[in-house]
Amino acid sequence: MVMFGYTGKILFVDLGSKTLRTEPTEKYAKDFLGGRGIATRILYENPDALVFMTGPLTSFVPSGSRMDVVAVSPVTGLIGGSSTGGEFPSALKFAGYDGIVITGKSEKPVYLRIENGEVSIESAEELWGLNVFDTIEALTHGHPDLRVACIGRAGENGVKFAGISFSHRNLASRGGLGTVMGAKKLKAILVHGTEGTKPYNPVELMSVFEEIQESIISSGEFLRFKDWHVNFIPTILKLRMPYFGDYEREWEKAEEAAMKAREWFEEHTVGRASCFSCPLRCWGLVKYDGETLPINLCQGTFPAATFTLKTEDPELAWRIYRKCQSEGLDMMSTVAVVAYASRLGLVELGTEEVLEMIEKIVTRQGEGDILAEGIKRASEHFGVPAVYVKGGMESWSSDVRPFVGSALISAVADSGSVNRALYGFPEFYYYIKKEQAEMMATRFVGDVEAAYPWSYSESKVRFAVLWENLHIIADSLGVCVIALLTTPLKLWAKAYEAVTGEKITEQELMTVAERTRTLERLFTLKHGDRKDDLSPRLFRDEPKLDREKLEGMKRVYYSLRGWDENGVPKPETIEKLGLGDLV
Amino acid sequence: MPYLIVHEDKCIGCRTCEMVCSLSHEGVVNPDLSRIHVLGYKGEKFPIMCLQCEDAPCELVCPMEAIHMQGGIRIVDDEKCIRCKMCTLVCPIGGVLYDYINHQMIRCDLCGGDPQCVKYCPMNVIELVPDDAVPEARKRGVRILYGEAD
Repeated sequence: MVMFGYTGKILFVDLGSKTLRTEPTEKYAKDFLGGRGIATRILYENPDALVFMTGPLTSFVPSGSRMDVVAVSPVTGLIGGSSTGGEFPSALKFAGYDGIVITGKSEKPVYLRIENGEVSIESAEELWGLNVFDTIEALTHGHPDLRVACIGRAGENGVKFAGISFSHRNLASRGGLGTVMGAKKLKAILVHGTEGTKPYNPVELMSVFEEIQESIISSGEFLRFKDWHVNFIPTILKLRMPYFGDYEREWEKAEEAAMKAREWFEEHTVGRASCFSCPLRCWGLVKYDGETLPINLCQGTFPAATFTLKTEDPELAWRIYRKCQSEGLDMMSTVAVVAYASRLGLVELGTEEVLEMIEKIVTRQGEGDILAEGIKRASEHFGVPAVYVKGGMESWSSDVRPFVGSALISAVADSGSVNRALYGFPEFYYYIKKEQAEMMATRFVGDVEAAYPWSYSESKVRFAVLWENLHIIADSLGVCVIALLTTPLKLWAKAYEAVTGEKITEQELMTVAERTRTLERLFTLKHGDRKDDLSPRLFRDEPKLDREKLEGMKRVYYSLRGWDENGVPKPETIEKLGLGDLV
Repeated sequence: MPYLIVHEDKCIGCRTCEMVCSLSHEGVVNPDLSRIHVLGYKGEKFPIMCLQCEDAPCELVCPMEAIHMQGGIRIVDDEKCIRCKMCTLVCPIGGVLYDYINHQMIRCDLCGGDPQCVKYCPMNVIELVPDDAVPEARKRGVRILYGEAD
């Protein structure tokens, strides 16, 4: 049967036996849509797999540029999930595949070559040892239309917080996915696709496309991203309460560093860029030292280098960013680990030593060898407590305590940190845009209190659950969550219908999210345990977060998800979501 | 004769123009079948397409005289065309291409007067202007860039 929107095939590659096969996407599409949903479903039965999965809207709609990547995280032992945009996801569909599932491991370094349905496993002996930028250059030399997913030296050397890089820019960074790829001895995936993708109703799609694009362009995000880089670093100081170094409250140079960074970006930004199909242009192109590199100023990139690593000099912060990008490191985790190392006296923050320390971690020399194991194992080794979230993953680059919703989600999440659930959650911008945050809370859950960062209310939990669902829907449809949140869900449902020819309601989208979320939890129960449903340890022992109230919120969260008081999905929930056959 | 001009400094490389071009002409999303192409090198990106040349090399080289102007738009007469692809070789900017799926020569036809790339470009990079108004349009593009016009 012809599927519209999907290519209809998922590529399965066994690197151990060097065999290739395909499975029909149809098998999973109805219950799990695509992207994060299908990837979670496949991982559930193949815990050894590294799964790349696009969604039905990938390549079709504004901001439909995403692909989800999941594998068992070498850090947490639970699902490690991250997603990427850029050009690779749509190129994979243009080449005829909805997703790639990599199982087994190769003895020697290999890379996967996919050209319009022609797939081969090639030797990567000559690529092994190259950083991300050099790998991309070696594979695409003279052919800029080739798309590459690859690991840098960090992934090769089993650094537990290595990501998978897509071009010089996008990174499926969190959870150690690059480590999984490195352990399989898979250096890269090269994709070239010219077959295109076919929607069910092109005329209707053009019309929905226009509606969605207008909605995105009239959003606050579109306006803000115009000068995002320049303004973001001072903004984040007010907005998110970043911590400094290893969870210090104060840094006398914070304001000054933020202003310097702002000036630096004003001077060095040479343009804006977008991922495939997206009007948001959230990437800035920065020219420094004769080289132009893209940067997305999120909390975990340049600001993390500035604040967490107490880097007053924007040039040094830029070099730290570039170093992490070129080695394929998750920057959020890297800065957390280096800041922790500074507490041990192994490195002085704000100096060149930081770059040397990152090099040591990548090449696993000296203490770098232990730090490369991640912050939890390092803290066990050195006997000095560290902050980490569930399963031992480094926390994100803000203090979660003043934001109760993020404290809750970092405790209950099953596939990574709050990034997978709470981008743009109104409590985060309450301090700078109070009215807007309150308006959102009232609109979505009918209670203004859900917007207060300090609130433990039941409505806050409902709000967080809804937000998490929206993230799962975005990650499953193959749409960027930033864009998804700017636009009413019914428009995305309309787009889904134009693309696939299948009707879907907002409620059905929510049900897919519930199903996927519960399956993530079932995976945790099968492969890990749940007693880790706690926010970062150091934090919990401080009065800033009311433990009892947080426990109360967790109980509300569980009941909203249809799980029992221990966070275990109830049999009737499993039945209702049609997951009975899996368990 | 109107043609499309490009304010290249505003392009964000999102390739929406390629998506809607192939969608509206071929009913698929396929940048390789798009008549407009975003060329990119190290961050500098901008779209190019057939510019409706005056003494068009494609028209001159065509052995079958299949290429001609019709209502200000240069078109390929599919009946006459023998797919020799000479036109793709001589076009200085790669504005003519061979559709390897439907086996025909394709090029920007200005969508018959309502170019979809112009309509859908989120940054208003592409503009359809009469040829005698081009210098004015370029100047306006610069004014927009510096925030002196909308």
